[in-house]
This record gives sequence, structure tokens and C-alpha cells, in this order.
Amino acid sequence: MGFVWHIAVRYFRSTRADAHIRALSTLTAGGLAVGTAALVLALAALAGFQNLLLEDLARHTPALQIEFGRGAAVEGAAATEGARDLAELAAATNGVAGVQELLYARGWLADDDRPLAVEVLGYEKAPPPWIPVQPEATPRLIVPVSVALRMGLAVGDMVRVVSPRPGLTPVGPRPRARMLPVDLIYRSDRAEDTDDPVLLPLEQASALFARGDRRLDLTLAPDADPEEIGDFLRRGIDPAVATVTTWRQANRALLFVLRLEKGLVFSAVALIVAVASFALLAALSMVLSSKRAEVGVLAAMGAPPARLRRVFLLLGALLSVGGAGLGGAAGAGLAALLDRYRVISTPSDVYVVDYVPFLVRGTDVLVVLAVTVLFTAAAAVIGARKASLLHPVEAMRSART
Amino acid sequence: MIAVSGVTKAYQDGAVRRQVLRGVDLVVARGETAAIVGPSGSGKSTLLNILGALDTPDAGSVRVDGVDLTASRPSALAGFRNRSLGFVFQFHQLLPDFTALENVMMPGRIAGRPTSSLSAQALALLDQVGLADRAGAFPQQLSGGERQRIAICRALVLEPAVLLADEPTGNLDSRSGEQVLELLDTLRRRRDTTMVLVTHNPEVAKRCGAVLRLDGGSLAPG
Ligand SMILES: Nc1ncnc2c1ncn2[C@@H]1O[C@H](COP(=O)(O)OP(=O)(O)OP(=O)(O)O)[C@@H](O)[C@H]1O
Ligand SMILES: [Mg+2]
Repeated sequence: MGFVWHIAVRYFRSTRADAHIRALSTLTAGGLAVGTAALVLALAALAGFQNLLLEDLARHTPALQIEFGRGAAVEGAAATEGARDLAELAAATNGVAGVQELLYARGWLADDDRPLAVEVLGYEKAPPPWIPVQPEATPRLIVPVSVALRMGLAVGDMVRVVSPRPGLTPVGPRPRARMLPVDLIYRSDRAEDTDDPVLLPLEQASALFARGDRRLDLTLAPDADPEEIGDFLRRGIDPAVATVTTWRQANRALLFVLRLEKGLVFSAVALIVAVASFALLAALSMVLSSKRAEVGVLAAMGAPPARLRRVFLLLGALLSVGGAGLGGAAGAGLAALLDRYRVISTPSDVYVVDYVPFLVRGTDVLVVLAVTVLFTAAAAVIGARKASLLHPVEAMRSART
Repeated sequence: MIAVSGVTKAYQDGAVRRQVLRGVDLVVARGETAAIVGPSGSGKSTLLNILGALDTPDAGSVRVDGVDLTASRPSALAGFRNRSLGFVFQFHQLLPDFTALENVMMPGRIAGRPTSSLSAQALALLDQVGLADRAGAFPQQLSGGERQRIAICRALVLEPAVLLADEPTGNLDSRSGEQVLELLDTLRRRRDTTMVLVTHNPEVAKRCGAVLRLDGGSLAPG
């Protein structure tokens, strides 16, 4: 055990002896424990919620999408042709696992004489992953619960899908429409379900809604980087024809809000750690002023200023490491328990889960520890500086009076 | 050896300037012991602090053990104090958080000496002043005279080339005082240590090679 440890450990023990220093060092350790625990807990709660949110988002947003320009000059066969070309280009790209063509449009559902305006989504191959269909089934018309309720529809009912664009017939313009059976009624987990679309296979949708907005949804290989592939595709696509959007770009606003939320919560809770660090500075200053003469003696016997400073830095570390370590561990443990036993519940109609999920991330814990070390180190450096500036004779004189 | 010439030192006490040393000259050859006597407040401790590189004179030159103290940097002086000097402070200045033995070992710990040989050495010193059985006691459990003797052991533990002692026998009865003086004699014979002792005790002064009187800010043979 070197000189610095020898002195610092003994001074650490002596903090019990003086009531004021004991109170301050207790405040330091307690404050750091509460602060780090609260930080770890808060970040775990945020991570838990945000994780669910992002998973939900990932289910509803493809990793990459290619949207054709709104009101693009091409339509009908040409549009279909253009979409096919781009779909082939995308499918041939490295890292792209699958391409699905989609078509969005507004139309009506008519049951006898009651038309209802609806969003229509035409899909290629299989319905999007958030529609709970059986794997083997090939449904024709899929209707959201909100629409089925308003129109009194049940599975098997025939309903007319009507396009806003009339078709020309020998007897004059007539609305384009197709009679289809309702094969499936689905309930999305979105709170705002009035926009949930009516789904049709792509050929049917194309035939009815030639002017709809076309989009390609790309699924990627597990290790593929959406940004990289997005950049690659952008180079091969005329921006006037279509735009390439990654999952992150599509949800930029939301992702920003999530980051902002995390930053704000972190800063607010980190104030506890800051206050505890002030207590540490006060404790170190009090130890130093009660040990002034002795530090002066050590300096007189030839202990260099830098080593005296290190004694107090180490003392600062000894005063804070226990509280911070305990707090961090307690926070992580508590978060794990709260998540495991679903202790905190939320009203189930507000969110997708009925309890507050906690997710303890290693990086979050590291950030908390780093911030704690930063604050306490700053306090210790300021507190310890004075130890190295003592004038030995002045310091020794102070003990006598 | 110690060579001091023309050292002055004044303290500023608010608006009052108190000139404590007004041109002190002093030479103590290697292995010699000088006693400094003088009335209280005459500046004996001030002079000793300057000799010990703990304080700087306003003017004059100070050479101790071959080092020009007025021309050295503070960081170099810290190493010099640890290596070459032994201090006995007027108010013994033991460290209350450490036992008698740990106090005696402290200069060696600063020097980075291995603790096992250091503690053997420290114990031997404590034994020579009759305090071996008090090695584990803390300063507040010790009498004034016991603390004084421990402070002397601490100054001697690294066998310094120069010993500066401020009233080393002040609190001691004649028997303990005798033990301390014998200890200093032993060190001087072994290491040829140069010593400056401040003392009010004529018996102690008589045993030193030279007695100097500090009065009115300068030294004169006493
Ligand atoms: N830091 C200081 N500030 C102001 N005055 C000081 C300071 N240190 C010493 N003095 C003054 O300098 C003078 C000499 O002090 P010093 O301690 O050297 O005396 P001394 O000879 O050792 O006395 P004693 O025998 O009582 O120990 C005293 O008058 C003291 O008040
Ligand atoms: Mg004095």
C-alpha cells in the first residue's frame, strides 16, 4: 500500500469521527446512491417504453421504401411497368431480402346504397405483417373493424368497392366498381383506427385505382444496413420518378422526440448526482480544513504537492464509489424486478401493454457511471487542489491557534 | 554543512511591518551541532524554517548540504526536505490519525521505503527512547513528553544529513532529555549529521559545539 493509499484510507476512516464531516460524507454517498439508482431506473423505464414503440414502428414501417412521385405523369400500364422495373432493380440489390409493391388510394365501400369513404391499400403477394392472416389463406377483401362496424359487415358479406375515377363504357361514363366478399375483418393495435385501410390484392386494386400512389416496401437481410442500401438505390433512381426513404428517415420526427425525451429526463435526474457532488466537494473541503496542519506536516516532511492532491482525489473516490456503485446496482436490480413481475400497471386501453416495461441497457448504465464519475471527479479535483496549494508553515501555524 | 549569510525576513501584520531577521550569518560545519538561544519571539523558529526550506528569506543566501535553497524550485525542495532533512517541530506535530509507529515511519513512507525494514528501524528508535511498548498508541493517548520523543524519532528515521530541532527537550524530564540527547549523539557519530538545535535549556546548549544567541534580528556568539 503506497503513501497515497495509506493516508487517504486513514482520512476516510476519520470522516466518522467528526459529526459535520460524517453528515456530509453520508449525504455524498446517499445522494450518489439515490442519483445513480434514479438515473438507471429512469433510463430503463424510457428504454422499455421506447423499445416497445420502436418494435411496433418496425412492424408498421418497412426498413426501406421507394415511393413514386405523387401525381406522377405516368399511370395505368406505364405506372405498373415503371414499378415493375424498380422492383426488379431493388430485388437484385445486395442485402435486399424481399420487395413488395403496394398501392394507396381513396375510394368507397358500398353496401346497397350506403357508400363509405375509405383508404384502400393494394398489396402484392401477402398482406403486410400487421394483418393477422393465416399463412396459407389468400383473402381478397380485408376490412378493418371500424369500417365493418359502421357498415354492419360480417365475414362473407358481399360489398362493392368503388373507384372515384369513372370508366368509359359504350353507354357513357360509369363508376368503376367491383363486387367482392369480405374475407377477413382485422383490428389494428393503433389508437387512431379510423384511417385503417381496406386491403385488396394488388391486381384488383390496380384495375380499380390506376391513379393511386405506388410504393415499394423492401425487407432487408438481417445484417444489412438500411442507410447504405438506401444510398445505393438513390444513385440508380431518378428522384423525379421516385424517392427512397429509410425507416429512420420516415420516422425522423418521432425518433428525434424520443431522443429529446431521453436527454431531458437524463438531465433532470442527473441533477441529484450534481447535488451529491457538491456535498462531496463540501466534505472534502471540511476534511482538508480539519487536517490543514497535518497536511502541512506531510508537506514539510517532503510529500510533493501532487501526491497530496492525489491523497484527496483518492479520498473523494473512496467517499463516492460505494454510494454510486450501490445505487447503480440497486437501480438495475429494481428495474429488472419491476419488469419481471410487472409491478407498475397502466390502463390497458391506453397502450399496447398494461404494465410499465423496464429495459436495463449496458450502455445506459455505463453512461450513468461515466456522468457520475465526471461530476464527482470535478468535485474531487476542485477539493483536492487546495491540498496542493498549502504553505506548510502557514498550515502548521493554523493548528496552534 | 550549513552556510547562511545576510538573511533577512519581515512579516507584514496588517499595516505593521515586523522585521524579524535583520541579516543573519551562520556557518555550521558538517557533523557539528549549533545551539540557538534567544528570547521568545526573537525569530528562532523563523530561522529554522528558512534553514529547512519551509520558508523563504526576503534577502540573503542559504546553502544547506550543498543545495542553494534560495535558487531551487519548490518541487525540488520537497524532495530535498525528504532526503536530507530531519525536522523536530516546536509543537511536535504528530499526525493524530496514525499510531506512534506509523508517525515515526512516515518520512520513510513518503520516500517510498519498503515498510518491513522501515518499521524495524522505527521500532528500534522507539526502543532507544523507552517507548517501544507505546508503538501502537495514537498521539492523543500519549503524554506531551512521549509525543515529543516520538517526534524526534520521526525526524531521525531516515538518518538525515541535517537535523533541525526546535526545542527537542522542551517537555522532557532530565532522564528522557538525556535519552534524546544520546540519540542525537549516536546519529551524529554514525552519519556525521549537521545539527541546529533551538533550546531554552542551558544544559543542552552546553553540550553543543557552538552556542549562538538570536536577539534583535541577528546572531551573536552566546
Ligand atoms: N506568519 C507570521 N505572520 C506574522 N508574524 C509572524 C508570523 N510568523 C512569525 N511571526 C512573528 O515573528 C516573530 C518571530 O517568531 P518565531 O516563531 O520565529 O519566534 P521564536 O523565536 O521561535 O519564539 P518562541 O521561542 O516563542 O518559539 C514573532 O514576533 C511572531 O509573532
Ligand atoms: Mg519558536
